[in-house]
Amino acid sequence: MPPFAGSEPAGFPKPDSNIVSIDVGGQVFQTTKQTLTSAGPKTFFSRIAESSGIYTPFIDRDPEMFSLLLSLLRTGNLPSKAKAFDLQDLIIESKFYGIETLLINSLSNPSQLEPFNLQKSLLLPLNGRDSPSALAADAACGALHVAHGSKITSFDWSLRRKATVLTHFTAVDSLLALSPTLVAAGANDFSGLQILDLENGRVRETLNWENVTKSGSTVQAIGASSENMFVSFESSRRNSNSIMVYDLHSLTPITEIGHNEIFGADIDSAIPATKLQWIEGYNLLMASGSHSGPSGVSGNIRLWDVRSGNVVWEISEKVDCFADVAVCDPLSVIFKVGVNSGEASYVDMRNLSTESAWVCLGDKRKVTNNGKKEGIGCKIETQGNQVFCTKGGDVELWSEVVMGGGNGGRIFKKNLMGRMRDMGGAKITNLAFGGSTMFLTRKDQQCVEVWQSSSREF
Amino acid sequence: MEEESTSVESNTANERIKLNVGGKYFETTLSTLRSGGPDSLLFALSNRRSTDPNPVFIDRDPEIFSVLLSLLRTSHLPSTARRFSKQELADEALFYGIDAHLRAATAPPPFSGIDAALAASIRPASEGLPSSFAAADSGAVWIAHGGQISGYDSTLTHSGTVRTHLDEIDSICRVWPEIAAIGSMSDPGLHFYNFSGSRHVGSVHWTDPLDPRIFKAHVNAITASENTVFASFDCPHRENCILEVDKSNLRTVNQFARQSGNQAKNMVPAKLTWIPATGVLVGSAVTGGAFGFSGYVRLWDPRSGEVVWETNEPGGSGRSSRFGDSFADVEADVEGLLLFKLCSKSGDLAMADMRFLKDDPWIYLKEKNASLVSCGEVRNSVVHCYRGQVFVAREGGLEVWSMVEQRENVVVRSENESDAEGFYRRNFVDKREDSDRGIIKKIEGGGDRLFVSREDVEGIEVWESSRFSGAISVL
Repeated sequence: MPPFAGSEPAGFPKPDSNIVSIDVGGQVFQTTKQTLTSAGPKTFFSRIAESSGIYTPFIDRDPEMFSLLLSLLRTGNLPSKAKAFDLQDLIIESKFYGIETLLINSLSNPSQLEPFNLQKSLLLPLNGRDSPSALAADAACGALHVAHGSKITSFDWSLRRKATVLTHFTAVDSLLALSPTLVAAGANDFSGLQILDLENGRVRETLNWENVTKSGSTVQAIGASSENMFVSFESSRRNSNSIMVYDLHSLTPITEIGHNEIFGADIDSAIPATKLQWIEGYNLLMASGSHSGPSGVSGNIRLWDVRSGNVVWEISEKVDCFADVAVCDPLSVIFKVGVNSGEASYVDMRNLSTESAWVCLGDKRKVTNNGKKEGIGCKIETQGNQVFCTKGGDVELWSEVVMGGGNGGRIFKKNLMGRMRDMGGAKITNLAFGGSTMFLTRKDQQCVEVWQSSSREF
Repeated sequence: MEEESTSVESNTANERIKLNVGGKYFETTLSTLRSGGPDSLLFALSNRRSTDPNPVFIDRDPEIFSVLLSLLRTSHLPSTARRFSKQELADEALFYGIDAHLRAATAPPPFSGIDAALAASIRPASEGLPSSFAAADSGAVWIAHGGQISGYDSTLTHSGTVRTHLDEIDSICRVWPEIAAIGSMSDPGLHFYNFSGSRHVGSVHWTDPLDPRIFKAHVNAITASENTVFASFDCPHRENCILEVDKSNLRTVNQFARQSGNQAKNMVPAKLTWIPATGVLVGSAVTGGAFGFSGYVRLWDPRSGEVVWETNEPGGSGRSSRFGDSFADVEADVEGLLLFKLCSKSGDLAMADMRFLKDDPWIYLKEKNASLVSCGEVRNSVVHCYRGQVFVAREGGLEVWSMVEQRENVVVRSENESDAEGFYRRNFVDKREDSDRGIIKKIEGGGDRLFVSREDVEGIEVWESSRFSGAISVL
């Protein structure tokens, strides 16, 4: 079907005018060249704007849908009457006109994440009996990949469509979205990091770490910056571990940092990193790992300078080791949840030194002398200026309160997220952010919970 | 966007055409109208020479037309289609001659066992307990229930019911698109019913002029090849054989595999499968008793009537480690030329390549997922192969064994056991609550659907894969 064809000149506008007429499915629309070119260069609309002269272009598409997309071009937002249509129709139509990015920007944009306005809005059911083991969301548009059992189900940015592929893994423990159709997946019990093409379920590439003992290398964690991918490997014999740095686009290895070979009883070096987070503002990589032994949980947090391969700062955790750690880049703060206390603590990154210590945000008495494991399984993630911390079935939202005067201590306050009926529930096992959305999964539930801002409903 | 660069249509195809449907004006191009195919009404309208300045008037509902026009333009059914019933849309599409377009846009995606959900449940209006059913490649299904056969077309709407002279239909097979072959355990003979005329078109009985004991033979299993129908018959005194019936004149052309039926290894085959690629008929029989399961799998060459390969369990040949673990069900994968058996004691699934059958051809598929604890002994199990996937029902639970995509540089060698074992992954199709609905009696794939019937449950379940996420709003 031809997208448009010329017809005899209309009575107006004059050829030199800035006004462009378009006939869509028999209905004439008028707009300006500026509006059309705002779709971006070399798009369908910009070509109409250039070619408009004496002919009124005819587009053989639905006029009603066009009027909605024209409003999107004019204002950057969809008019409210678009709610009468399915988002799927709008996506198909916007793909035809080549302006899907405008639609994504208006509906699912990371800058629209409103932490204080998030509420549980959707449940994405997963087929079969496996509970989700890992989540990976595309930060920019909010497309989601969910690993459950040996399968990976991918949802598009609108969360309206899905596709499932089968992998070699029995369960995927670490997942990273490289592009909407490409993920990196690894497991604690499976050698090698697989780069999976989700369109056909094929393994495009397997990345392995050549360790000294020539045994397999299992994946403990994956992280990414805008240029690099970081993978924490452990040898199958569990006697060496390392963090490999790959180029994010070509997937060629660049360097290796933090290579540990274990000799004797050096427990601390035997702990592979189980969380990797890139700190953009400092150009550092945060790597943390913990280990449960007879004397309790111990672990370490290291900040790596990737280019030099040196540890810039590290803290060894003996008392109330972290259950999870996350760095909040805009606030320059490292947050953790103590595995024993279950309380959140922070370290200010602006004046890190060897004496830096955790500042507990909760009941300090619980930190020492607590045989319980109240924080076990807690997750902590940061997004923008906010820190999200899960505790059992609830999510706590930590934010900094900036007070005038400022004498030393920083003030962080927490809120419990959700309405009364959203609270409680089964223990939260995964937490991820993408687009303007928060995703979480719960123990033994074959679905993903979607939390969105109430004002951004479609 | 993409269309623009690829469209090298002639000028006439780009010509615009105005339509007046029930008073509402539409404008489109000839190529859009013609995409419905040369037999459609819209194509015929597009051929009208446009000397007449008035648009073509069609006296139909404009709202449905706008839906169908969107379908022609985008090959997607817009959400506004939800205002109309499936039947309305199908009727209207038939009027314009674009029903094939509509069917293509509404068909479910390729069936994938790892991503399937219960899409519908179809229940005949009366005597809804299905005794058997037969699925077609179009996704249509015939359900045998209480001596009737109810037909459901590819949109799963009821297309008609035939009352047969049988009290209970235990096996049903599609012989022609409109003709069903049926058999019963309570009435003798193989019978053919024409669905469209709703009438009996023929019967075949097993008789032997030299042996008066061959009398009142019941049909146990039916399968169809391109030109013939195979049915296994057994007499009240258990003597049994397989008859080959010509599809065109419904006459017996061949009789083979006659056996006495006095032991488990010469019982009547309860399951028959025709393998077109190799021209062999696979038959199997299993009995379960207090001492476990026993049975056989046999491959016949119908031309000679000879047994090409067979195995009996327990006994026969096999690994000593698997002794006493005889199969509870056997199924042939027609496209993949594989045999699958489910072991009764261990609950393991084993695979054999039909091209390399030998003394002990079985490869036992490994369960790698520690969280899927082996089910162990199961009383009721069904195995069904469909589109390279193996569906296994244990009591009420439904699981699928699917092949993992291999990297291209890995050579697939089925002879090499250790390789083949790892190719399959086991996953549950259903949820735990689905399995509580009842014991699964029969599974059959057809089109992009999987049909499942359960013991003492009315109707049959339809499982489909979907591209839609099925997001549930909890606001």
